[in-house]
Amino acid sequence: MPKAPFNAWLVPAGRLLLLLGLCFLIAGPWVCSIPQLQLLTQFLSLLVIAIMWNLLAGYADIVSVGQHAFVGIGAYAFFGFAVFAGFSPYLALLAGGATALVFAVPVMLIIFRLRAAYLAVGSWVVAETLMLGAGKLTAFGGGSGVSMPVSVVRSLGVQPALRYSHIYWLALAVAAVALATTWLLMRSRIGLGLTAMRDNEEGAGSVGVNLIRSRILCFLWTAPFLGLAGGIITLQKLRVAPPASFSITDWTVYVIFIVVIGGIGSFEGPIIGTVVFFLIRQYLAEIGVWHFIILGMLSIGVIMVEPRGLWGILRRVVPGDLIPVSHRPPARPLAGSDSAPSGTHLKEPHSTPAG
Amino acid sequence: MAGRPAVAPTGNGTLLAVEKLSVFYGQFRALFGVDLEVRAGEIVSIIGANGAGKSSLLKAIVGQVGRTEGRILLEGADLTALPTAEIVGGGVALVPEGRRLFPSLTVEENLHIGWEVGRQGEIGFDEVYRYFPILKERRRQKTRELSGGQQQMVAVGRALLANPRLLLCDEISLGLAPVVINELYEIIPAIRDRGIGIVVVEQDITRSLAVADRFYCLLEGRVNLTGRPQDTTREIVAQHYFGV
Amino acid sequence: MFFSWANQILQGVLVGGLYAMFAMGLSLSVGIMRFVNIAHGDLIVLVSFLILSLTQAFGLDPILAVLITLPLAFLGGYLLQRYLLQRVIGEGVLPIILVTFGLSIIIQNGLLGTYGADTRKVAGGGIETATLMLGKGINVGVLPLAIFVTAMVMVAGLDLLLYRTRMGARIRAVSDDVSSANLVGLPSAHIYAIAMGIVGVTVAISAGFMSVWTNFDPTSGPSRLITAFEAVVLGGLGSLWGTLIGGIVLGVAQTLGAQFDAAWQVLAGHIVFLIIFMLRPQGLFPRN
Repeated sequence: MPKAPFNAWLVPAGRLLLLLGLCFLIAGPWVCSIPQLQLLTQFLSLLVIAIMWNLLAGYADIVSVGQHAFVGIGAYAFFGFAVFAGFSPYLALLAGGATALVFAVPVMLIIFRLRAAYLAVGSWVVAETLMLGAGKLTAFGGGSGVSMPVSVVRSLGVQPALRYSHIYWLALAVAAVALATTWLLMRSRIGLGLTAMRDNEEGAGSVGVNLIRSRILCFLWTAPFLGLAGGIITLQKLRVAPPASFSITDWTVYVIFIVVIGGIGSFEGPIIGTVVFFLIRQYLAEIGVWHFIILGMLSIGVIMVEPRGLWGILRRVVPGDLIPVSHRPPARPLAGSDSAPSGTHLKEPHSTPAG
Repeated sequence: MAGRPAVAPTGNGTLLAVEKLSVFYGQFRALFGVDLEVRAGEIVSIIGANGAGKSSLLKAIVGQVGRTEGRILLEGADLTALPTAEIVGGGVALVPEGRRLFPSLTVEENLHIGWEVGRQGEIGFDEVYRYFPILKERRRQKTRELSGGQQQMVAVGRALLANPRLLLCDEISLGLAPVVINELYEIIPAIRDRGIGIVVVEQDITRSLAVADRFYCLLEGRVNLTGRPQDTTREIVAQHYFGV
Repeated sequence: MFFSWANQILQGVLVGGLYAMFAMGLSLSVGIMRFVNIAHGDLIVLVSFLILSLTQAFGLDPILAVLITLPLAFLGGYLLQRYLLQRVIGEGVLPIILVTFGLSIIIQNGLLGTYGADTRKVAGGGIETATLMLGKGINVGVLPLAIFVTAMVMVAGLDLLLYRTRMGARIRAVSDDVSSANLVGLPSAHIYAIAMGIVGVTVAISAGFMSVWTNFDPTSGPSRLITAFEAVVLGGLGSLWGTLIGGIVLGVAQTLGAQFDAAWQVLAGHIVFLIIFMLRPQGLFPRN
């Protein structure tokens, strides 16, 4: 940018807001009641899932609607390691993340055989299969699930207050690591290559060679974090059950709405989306099924009108990224939002005649 | 299409009038106020280097560029804001660069598409098969199985079956053997003699000027030379072509 | 023993006819427009509820109710494509997936809000229970047989439509190359919309049979979508006869899975799908 525009102060202001949010999260256990802390824990878990889905759909061109599978795998694995193997909850949490990563390899081998347009439903088939498979595990209570023994619960703290602040710290740590490392990934050559690919379909031939490798890395990247989130969710709910642990509504439908409305393909989008979702969630619950309809219409509207979501709208006023991912000037405006006929690509090259 | 004569007038009436046409692709401007005229029964060549705006001009005439300024008139009727289907239905047919056939359709089906999108007229399948006898033999074959030259014949045939008053040919010699090019270029004057106005865009200046009644030279989106081929010299054309 | 197994396989084949019917519309949209409509299953369920309302509120015969929904479904498909999906087509895979995904959630919850969560079924007037006894323990339900025959007729009809009619040639032309079609003056948006209208008709026919044969509720859509998707991929993307075979494979796998344990029915279908997909990702009958 050549010189500071009149609204340049918005960027530091936005960053300050993020910093204040972070301070609030760190101060959480001291300033919040137990129910508030539980809500914040849910917020952090959902934030992690949203960031991971955004990494896949917004950058790596992997539009999955089956990522709830890894949340469920993490939940079940955490439960298994903590209850049956007698691991400490902390170790079981890590083992749950690792298990999700192990499962991600065969899942990837299956769904990457499908072209991008068909991968979405393919990932759903896999998630559905895994959920039905979890329902066949008799040790985990089969289709109706099982609760966690009290002894495991108490190992995190005898008093509920202590226990919930422990769970909260775990959630905050997972979210912090997920955010920071994913940000570093996006700033690495791999991330910049993906961003270039996304923003310029034609001219990114040079990064095409590494594209498959980058997509593999991104897919494998998200699995352990989703698994960790699944473990934390299980710690909060204190039980596993196929439809709840592998909940497509909670870990995919809401997450897609959050990312789309907040702003897909930006780092700020999922954060804004998750905050907005939690701010309006209690009102949404009151209107029953209609809140899904409103969210659905809202996200279709966003895709039609401003595919970059709320952050895209804010970004028209805010002159820079709050969390800079690339070192390039502002993202191009998304072309073709008003139904231009496809296929009228620019054929005349910019070259001038020789001589 | 009310108000238009059903039959193309013979004589020297203006068929196509392009007035102060500019074409934009986002921030990029491909044409700067181009004026051009084509009469019925006339072959007009557009020459110019790569990127001079030749293809943009043709695409603008059939309504396939995003934003234009200026007017495009076909016998006085304004085409500028019309969708491609109506422009083609009104008597403008394009032989696109790169042929752009439908590869999984047969020769006959490809030709039929032209017949359906075009206007009523005298050119039928027999006529096209008379120009290109090989296509009759191959009419049940998928066009992806044809040679490049045969594919180009299908592309020309498809445009002819639309019974155009104005035929636009974009780089029809591209990638073809000289023998095949000769065969195609023999047919163009015959088409002209039916009273059809023809615009030919070619890289090959010699070929292009040989077939033309008149020509326009484009340089960086502007017309910098126009006239009859016999009234100019190779040097003058080359100077304007390269802009030196 | 042999005849018992043969009977089960026969039942599975007939179930496969219904699955193929679900999948036919999806196969068309994959083959022609090259996207998967995530709301496909929900549209089937939506039309089923429409048929339910027509039969219950107006006391119409189910067949008459289906006949009424056919033009409505064509129009609905046309409008859906022309005024919603067409706006995001050709801009990469993300927008079209997200729009149809949003649509899926809207339909499911709209139905939940309107009809409640109860499981429903349309009364078929006795055809559900009519059976042909073929002896040796093999018997064939009249309704499943009618469904299977209809599915075959539909595939043959769509085949004729695509390969023997002018509209079919236009549809294939646009499917071959949209930008070429636009360039020579084929109205691609209109042609896509007609193709989606045809998809709508297949949706209505399959909804009609489904609503009489099986239970459904507002959240039944996703499982129909997944079944349809599996049949399409198994058969080879875009191949209509392949889709029919894909549906049969799933039907047989589920029926045999249920033989071992009723709870394994659905899972058996998924597992067979995944195994065949790993061995033959291009499907059993790839087009071209």
